[in-house]
Amino acid sequence: MTIASERLLVPAQATRRRASFAVLLDRQSVFSWLMMALPLAFLAALVGYPFVYGILLSLQDRPVAHTGTFVGLKNFVHDAHDPVFWRVAINTFVYTIVATLLKMVGGLGLALAMNQHFRMKNIVRALLLLPFIVPTVLSTVAWLWMLDPAFSVVNRLMVALGWPKPGPSWLGDPTLAMVSIIIINTWRGLPFYGITLLAGLQTVPSELYEAASIDGAGGWERFRYITLPLLRPIILIVTLFSVIFTFADFQLIYVLTHGGPANATQLFATYAFDIAMGAGQLGLGASVALAMLPALALLIVALTIYLRRE
Amino acid sequence: MTGSTTDHLTNRRSFLKIAAAGTAAMVSRSLPAGAAGKTITILHESSFIKPFDEYVSNTLAPAYEKLTGIKVVYEVTSVGSLPTRISTIAETGSGADITMNGLLQVIQFSNKYLDVGDIAADIGKAQAGWYDAGKEGVFVDGKWKAIPFANIGQLMNWRTDYFAEVGVKKFPETWDELYEVGKKLKAKDHPFGFELGHGFGDNHGWLYPLLWSYGGSEVAADGKTVVIDSDETARAVDFCRKFFKDTMLDDCLGWTDVSNNKAWMADQISCTNNAESILWFAKREFPDIGKVTDQAMNPAGPKGRFHLLNLISHSIFDFSPVKEEARAFMRWLMEPKQLGGWYAIADSYYQPLLHGYDNAPMWDVEPRNKPYRDAVANAHLPGWPAPASRQVAEVVAKYVVVDMFAKACAGASTKDVIKEAQAQLKDIYRSA
Repeated sequence: MTIASERLLVPAQATRRRASFAVLLDRQSVFSWLMMALPLAFLAALVGYPFVYGILLSLQDRPVAHTGTFVGLKNFVHDAHDPVFWRVAINTFVYTIVATLLKMVGGLGLALAMNQHFRMKNIVRALLLLPFIVPTVLSTVAWLWMLDPAFSVVNRLMVALGWPKPGPSWLGDPTLAMVSIIIINTWRGLPFYGITLLAGLQTVPSELYEAASIDGAGGWERFRYITLPLLRPIILIVTLFSVIFTFADFQLIYVLTHGGPANATQLFATYAFDIAMGAGQLGLGASVALAMLPALALLIVALTIYLRRE
Repeated sequence: MTGSTTDHLTNRRSFLKIAAAGTAAMVSRSLPAGAAGKTITILHESSFIKPFDEYVSNTLAPAYEKLTGIKVVYEVTSVGSLPTRISTIAETGSGADITMNGLLQVIQFSNKYLDVGDIAADIGKAQAGWYDAGKEGVFVDGKWKAIPFANIGQLMNWRTDYFAEVGVKKFPETWDELYEVGKKLKAKDHPFGFELGHGFGDNHGWLYPLLWSYGGSEVAADGKTVVIDSDETARAVDFCRKFFKDTMLDDCLGWTDVSNNKAWMADQISCTNNAESILWFAKREFPDIGKVTDQAMNPAGPKGRFHLLNLISHSIFDFSPVKEEARAFMRWLMEPKQLGGWYAIADSYYQPLLHGYDNAPMWDVEPRNKPYRDAVANAHLPGWPAPASRQVAEVVAKYVVVDMFAKACAGASTKDVIKEAQAQLKDIYRSA
């Protein structure tokens, strides 16, 4: 008897346990956290840990291969006294603002052009993405050749048109070097803007344009009062991404000028790298890298609030 | 320059005789019991000269295994990635037992390296003594933290055909003479091209020697007192500005390390400052240019002639599980037979730091490389006369001295550029 009852009991218990687990799972609060657990662990490991480690590093005097000593905000004070740091800050803002504006205007123009009907539209659209697809290091090496006065297409052309030989020194002149890296960054980032805005353009219902046309709106009015307001959320999101990528740009500068001539093109990311990896001052390097944070965080918060209100 | 050379090993025969003498004796004496079957890993940056790396994997490693039973793994890391790779090994405490060091790694990682003063002393004694530069490059806090291997010198590379066009058959002895030649050559559309941008080697390679040859330096011998603001520095800066303006391509201000090589092979410039690789490459890929390429020591300034020490050395990690085996291996590797063979395979791209090789046969393969041998006698680390320190590494990584000259060339006043450099240097050396 006892044996039999025990036999009966076991599956019953299991069922109950299964049932309670199912009930638990049915609870929305539990289930949602369960679903979130993996991405959260992922974020903590790949974003949270390096970020916190970066902050800890920035508060230490930490030469490579030596144990660090806590120095509080000394590294940041050191940065504030470093004239190159301020040069780098100005460079980074100029680079980001000008390049983003150019990409925004150019990208919008590109999207509007691509939204027209013409032959081989799909092939042209695909080709437009090329600058974005080619690895940055490779395309930058190509630019390196194009900006070398001896081999440059531009210089050959200018010299042929009467400019004194060998033509402008694109990377040797401090101002031209900044102009050059902005142009290349714009060239590389334009397709991202263009294609994303094109996707946005295609969601604008054609009835709106038809209605506006009937009401007598011209091309500019249709753009001003229909296209632009409807595209605004997308423009804002693309701008947010673009600013983050541009602000923290590294590869282009590293390959092209390495911050030269005389720090004229040095940005936060390359300067931080030189200090941390070149000089072996991990703490000081981390503090330069973290100096990017307040500006970016402010921008992200402001744009997010604006988007929510929309 | 090599007048101080002892008369050991002065001809090929005696060199070989010493090279062949007693190899196994020393190794077996210094090896711990039970070493056979173990593995030693050496980390090296990929060489510009392929046979150099192959010589270790195909000749030296098998020979050592045959001799001792110890397997030698030669791990090659790509050019430029050595500091990062050493960082990883030093931070994690595993990955290699011996590593090659570039210019600044001995300073940065010295606390993870064994003191190898005893080995260095024995090697020096056996092979006619070390060059001072050898010790300067590896001596940290009173200890030999590495065994010097070679210098990759930065010297003057010049076009004999273009120089001949203005009647110059021999490379000028002083900066002033070189300036006069450069002015004439620029007028004939054969400008000079010296890197003034943010590369790594070719800018420091001539700008530190220029500063020193005018009597300037960034810091005093105590490694603390910043002394850049001097009349000597001002004269060097003034010279550099006119040297740039009257002899060079404008583009030099934006150059990185590849630029002068590219310009050389494209027949754009008539003189630059680079390592031997420019001749090595020209001879193989652009033979017409190779034929008219010659090399010379840096010109002298009012205070003498200087070169930048670009030292390569080997260190043993203090956490290696095979420390004693690694020590014994380094002794064996630095014996004339092994070391001489390794040097010889790369012509003279790697310039020995032992006087025993001053007249080694490797110098006869390409006589145009001989100035590189003579340049070691007055080569110094950046930051000289101060000893190597982390502050020196920071000054180099921040291009403080390079940018001082570059800003002057771009038009800033001598007073301003020195003032800016001084502020930066004081900030960096404050922690010394």
